[in-house]
Amino acid sequence: MTPDHEHIIQTVEQIIAKRGTSADAAIPILQDIQQVFNYLPDEALKHVCAITEISPSRISGISTFYSQFRHQPAGKHIIRVCTGTACHVKGATRVYDAIARELKLTDGQVTDTDGLFTLEKVACLGCCTLAPVIKIDETTYGHILPEKVGEVMQEFLSKNQHDNHKGKQVLASDAEIMGEIRIGLGSCCVASGSEEVKQELEKILAQTRINVHVKQVGCVGVCNQVPVMEIIKPGHEPAFYAKIKPEEVREVVLSHFQPSGLFNKLKTKFVGSFEKAVVADEPKSFRKYLLEQRDTPISEFLGPQKTIASENRGVVKPCDITEYLAGGGFTALRKCLGEFTQQQVVDEISMSGLRGRGGAGFPTGRKWQMVKDQPDNEKYVICNGDEGDPGAFMDRMLLESYPFRVIEGMLIAGYATGATQGIFYIRAEYPLAVKRINEALQICRENGLVGNSILNSGFSFDIRIFEGAGAFVCGEETALIASIEGERGIPRMRPPYPAVKGLWGKPTLVNNTETFSLVSWIFRHGAEAFANIGTSGSKGTKVFALAGKVNRGGLIEVPMGITLRQIVEEIGGGIANNRKFKAVQIGGPSGGCIPASMYDLPVDFEELSKVGAMMGSGGLIVLDDTDCMVDIAHYFLSFTQDQSCGRCTFCRVGTTRMLQLLDKIRSGKGKPEDITHLEKLAISTQQGSLCGLGKTAPNPVLSTLRYFREEYEAHIQGNCPSGKCMPLITYSITDECIGCTKCAQRCPSDAIAFKPYEIHTIDMEKCIKCDICRQVCPVDAVKVG
Amino acid sequence: MLKITIDNQTTEVKPGTTVLQAAAALGIEIPAMCYREGHSCHPSCMVCLVKDADRGNFFTSCAMPVAEGMNITATSDEVAAMRREALELLLSDHVGDCEAPCTLTCPASMDIPLMNRLIAKGEFDKSLEIVREQIALPLILGYICPAPCEKACRRKPIDGAVSICLLKRFTAIDASRRNSNLIADVVKTGKKIAIIGTGPAGLSAAFYLLRTGHNCTLFDKNELAGGAMRYNIPEEKLPREMLDAEIDGIRVMGAVYKMNHPITSEIFENDIIPKFDAVILATGNREYQPVEEFGLAGGTDHDFADKKTYKTLRPGVFACGNMIRESEMAVRASAQGRMAATEVGIYLGTHPSVKKFQFNSSFGHLSKPEQEEYLKESIPGKPIEPEGGFIAGFNEQQAIAEAKRCMHCDCRKPASCKLRMYADQYGVNRKKHLGPERKPLSKSIHHNLIVYEPEKCIRCGLCVEISGKEESLGLTYIGRGFDVRISVPFNETVAEALKKTAEACVIACPTGSMAFKNQEERI
Repeated sequence: MTPDHEHIIQTVEQIIAKRGTSADAAIPILQDIQQVFNYLPDEALKHVCAITEISPSRISGISTFYSQFRHQPAGKHIIRVCTGTACHVKGATRVYDAIARELKLTDGQVTDTDGLFTLEKVACLGCCTLAPVIKIDETTYGHILPEKVGEVMQEFLSKNQHDNHKGKQVLASDAEIMGEIRIGLGSCCVASGSEEVKQELEKILAQTRINVHVKQVGCVGVCNQVPVMEIIKPGHEPAFYAKIKPEEVREVVLSHFQPSGLFNKLKTKFVGSFEKAVVADEPKSFRKYLLEQRDTPISEFLGPQKTIASENRGVVKPCDITEYLAGGGFTALRKCLGEFTQQQVVDEISMSGLRGRGGAGFPTGRKWQMVKDQPDNEKYVICNGDEGDPGAFMDRMLLESYPFRVIEGMLIAGYATGATQGIFYIRAEYPLAVKRINEALQICRENGLVGNSILNSGFSFDIRIFEGAGAFVCGEETALIASIEGERGIPRMRPPYPAVKGLWGKPTLVNNTETFSLVSWIFRHGAEAFANIGTSGSKGTKVFALAGKVNRGGLIEVPMGITLRQIVEEIGGGIANNRKFKAVQIGGPSGGCIPASMYDLPVDFEELSKVGAMMGSGGLIVLDDTDCMVDIAHYFLSFTQDQSCGRCTFCRVGTTRMLQLLDKIRSGKGKPEDITHLEKLAISTQQGSLCGLGKTAPNPVLSTLRYFREEYEAHIQGNCPSGKCMPLITYSITDECIGCTKCAQRCPSDAIAFKPYEIHTIDMEKCIKCDICRQVCPVDAVKVG
Repeated sequence: MLKITIDNQTTEVKPGTTVLQAAAALGIEIPAMCYREGHSCHPSCMVCLVKDADRGNFFTSCAMPVAEGMNITATSDEVAAMRREALELLLSDHVGDCEAPCTLTCPASMDIPLMNRLIAKGEFDKSLEIVREQIALPLILGYICPAPCEKACRRKPIDGAVSICLLKRFTAIDASRRNSNLIADVVKTGKKIAIIGTGPAGLSAAFYLLRTGHNCTLFDKNELAGGAMRYNIPEEKLPREMLDAEIDGIRVMGAVYKMNHPITSEIFENDIIPKFDAVILATGNREYQPVEEFGLAGGTDHDFADKKTYKTLRPGVFACGNMIRESEMAVRASAQGRMAATEVGIYLGTHPSVKKFQFNSSFGHLSKPEQEEYLKESIPGKPIEPEGGFIAGFNEQQAIAEAKRCMHCDCRKPASCKLRMYADQYGVNRKKHLGPERKPLSKSIHHNLIVYEPEKCIRCGLCVEISGKEESLGLTYIGRGFDVRISVPFNETVAEALKKTAEACVIACPTGSMAFKNQEERI
């Protein structure tokens, strides 16, 4: 259905009235238009050109550059399949294919014929520990199996219908506060159902009149145990409940608190008896841990960590400024403004040894110095929150959970460099982060922490938010700047560096979110304290998104110099399902694979680049012996190839040709010379590309070639040793088959004939290798070979 | 002033000078395609890469400002290899032919599409001129050539190849046009060349030697000139009046035919070698005349003469035609005669060696939808049948109609395309990075001045910038990554997009992607 002319014109004019008519407003204008129509009608774009300074060339260029923008109407609901690394290794491709089959989508089609669902791939939803993950509109579903996608969609539709009948929740408030219950509301927690847990909790508290303070805290980090609920009761040890379900909330709450009033006690008992009668017994599915207790998965997970960027994890409410102030918030800013000259602030950062956490590890102090040394009156500070790596969600967590900390870091940077304007560049895929930062900025403005003469110091600095529109390359600082200027996110040649000539040609400091998050700690504890953590070249801590084949994934912050073994074995609890550790993929699409033989490698900028990987922004995916390294290389390269801006020859064409070679090898059609050809092309792409994206895109290929060359050679021989590469594997059914027909019923391609009580067979001509038969087989009779 | 060393030469430049400009000032040529003086520099093609000799990294010299003390390598095998790689990557995604398949198939590399276009426009004199740049005997070959070009013609699978052979004959059918004074302006060299044999190779060599100012004497053991064309091909296939007419044309140009004049070893050593400045042997299949008679080692191999330079082991003695490579095709022997004549001129020092493009981009077959794109430049319909049959040939009207069937498969910028020029210079292997499938091509021909072929584009963006300054619509980038292309906003036409700047875009375009519709670079 096409929206009518009048509606389009009116909408566009309202948007322009709000966003202005200058050329750099193009991206926000397009975002607003899409918000209304679900896509960008040509008519709307033409009208924008007619009444603003935005040219047809610019609007076409940018609206086709950023993947957020759609030029065709979308279905009523959008299904986003996460194709992040963790999801990939857990079968996201098959989930995508299964949904496409369910929606009966044919080649190139993304919306079903009824216009109900549009299917999209998304680089990363940042819920790596729940992989594979899909998101339908605003609801996230984790641990999706291809055979269950139909059910999930049904569930979504039925729930969607009932959504409007939600009851209003009443909270008890008049009695004495009996304690505090904390619920994590980071994106992972929400995806795993913490919102439902919270609703249930509020309902129960209202019914029982138990008067406790319910507090929503940011990301707790133990994403592998979500949803989590922590109960604080004066005089008692805090109790930590992991993987809790809404129906279990009642028992947990009642095991800690007494309902007030006799009637309520009876009623509660009565209602409760319909569920699980005995309150004293622990329900089986969730786990309760006392935080002080040793040897629990929670204490092991948190033990080796060191929290600086994520200080007070799971304790503070993200947008509560009183709490932030109580924890020493803004004392660093006060100190800088009151006691330090600009140069002293820069020196302190230099002395701390802090290096940029965005990936390349450029010394932060030196960058600040460069910007400070520019004579211009107008300078900018940009917080790079365009975290686009598949398998990384550190920035999202920091922005969602510690907005004030990031703001404080930016303010200090602004003061030190002499800037007057700050900009948060945040991915549009992170709506919660945008919301929290907005809220926090508003609070800061009200409290004189952002704006004119901050804390009456005479230092003025304002901060605004710019929402990215979906382009990984915009993580590159010059592309990011182009994007803010309302252009296609094409990297620019350096020099001149942004520190000299950046946004609008003015000196610009671009730092990663995590870098800013570390700043206030440095001033509260001193540069020396920070420099005492870590190795000689890499100071402080690093936040990683630990995911993949570990028992306990999650967001972790570890001191630099910690070994991979410690991360995987101690924090991650070793490899899941008794498989064998094979490699760690670190640094995302710019990084590399580090083999098991280097398990004791310390995490440090130099050490990582020496072995062909890099720190990257912090994705850390653990791979086991069922993971194919050719497939991993292909996965990452297909990501960067897709995200290439297309400007320079090596990246645009080189990554494409490399990917095609990998495709050929992966499907068993490769020749021995293809491996050397691939390697040579990877090296020239590394050397010849213009920006960091192209220069590092070959890393996953080169590092797997370096450590797992024999796997490439095996593929040339027509064999995928890990049984991962679809063209090289076959499915078969063993004699253990009991003839239950489940596989035959579920097979989407009629490759298994329906033969009750007989041993089934698979017709490989018809088999599409969707893996559903193996998943549904009750006796493990389906083998992959 | 800033000091910079490039290829071990040190110079001083003003701040703001780029490495490319500094190199140019030192006389070091660096290739560049996306860079254009007076335009904003935003590197994309990557063929101007140089190496920072101190740090070891590569960068684009067009956009890099000189910094004090830079030490740059602009000329080395390693740098050349990187540039070659960039060119090879660009070519792997370049769907276009430099020369049309017919030209590439023609043993004489005749510029067939250009001949066709000139005939179609009624410019018959010019069309003959173009033919004769490669073919000395268009009239004879217009009867007897097996026309491999027609087998390669892109029109063939659609509704039949263009009748190239007949069109070629048509260009030469008119005696006055054919015999218009071909050597009027030629400066005489005073050199005397002997040609042994009057078959297609010998006659062709004579034609081109005469056109370059040499004196020519042709020797043949037979009574009449023409070699195998006269003695092996029946009259019904090649009317003798036509054969005689073209042989006589060469006599009119100044050739001396010495017929009934077999060359023995003795005559060769005593009467030929001492009296001529150079000799071209064109005696046909060696069963007729063994090469030992010319003091050359024989044997079964044809290795007594170089296949590229036509030089034999004896200085000043050249060999061409069927003696060095047996072939049924007179056009091949004729082509060799021309090339041997060129080599003689170089040998005698009267004519410098002219470098020609060796490189050709070529993409193979057209898909069905692509055929439609190509047909846009042509007229519909099957080949015209000559009314009086093959021997009678085309009249003017028929020739024009048939020539209009040509689809203009050749590039419009064969001489000025930088991609071709550098590909040639760097000796690229265009197939090195070919992907599993190529992009579908299209031609946008509705602008009255220019033709835009998106798949020949290297995405430098010069046209986007140029049109962006003056046009209300202009051009834009669509998409990103490998699929990025230059197109018109809102699916409008190129004619709508480029109302003022079409000419400037064509001039700036480094490849044949944007070209003038009706301008021939090779006339």
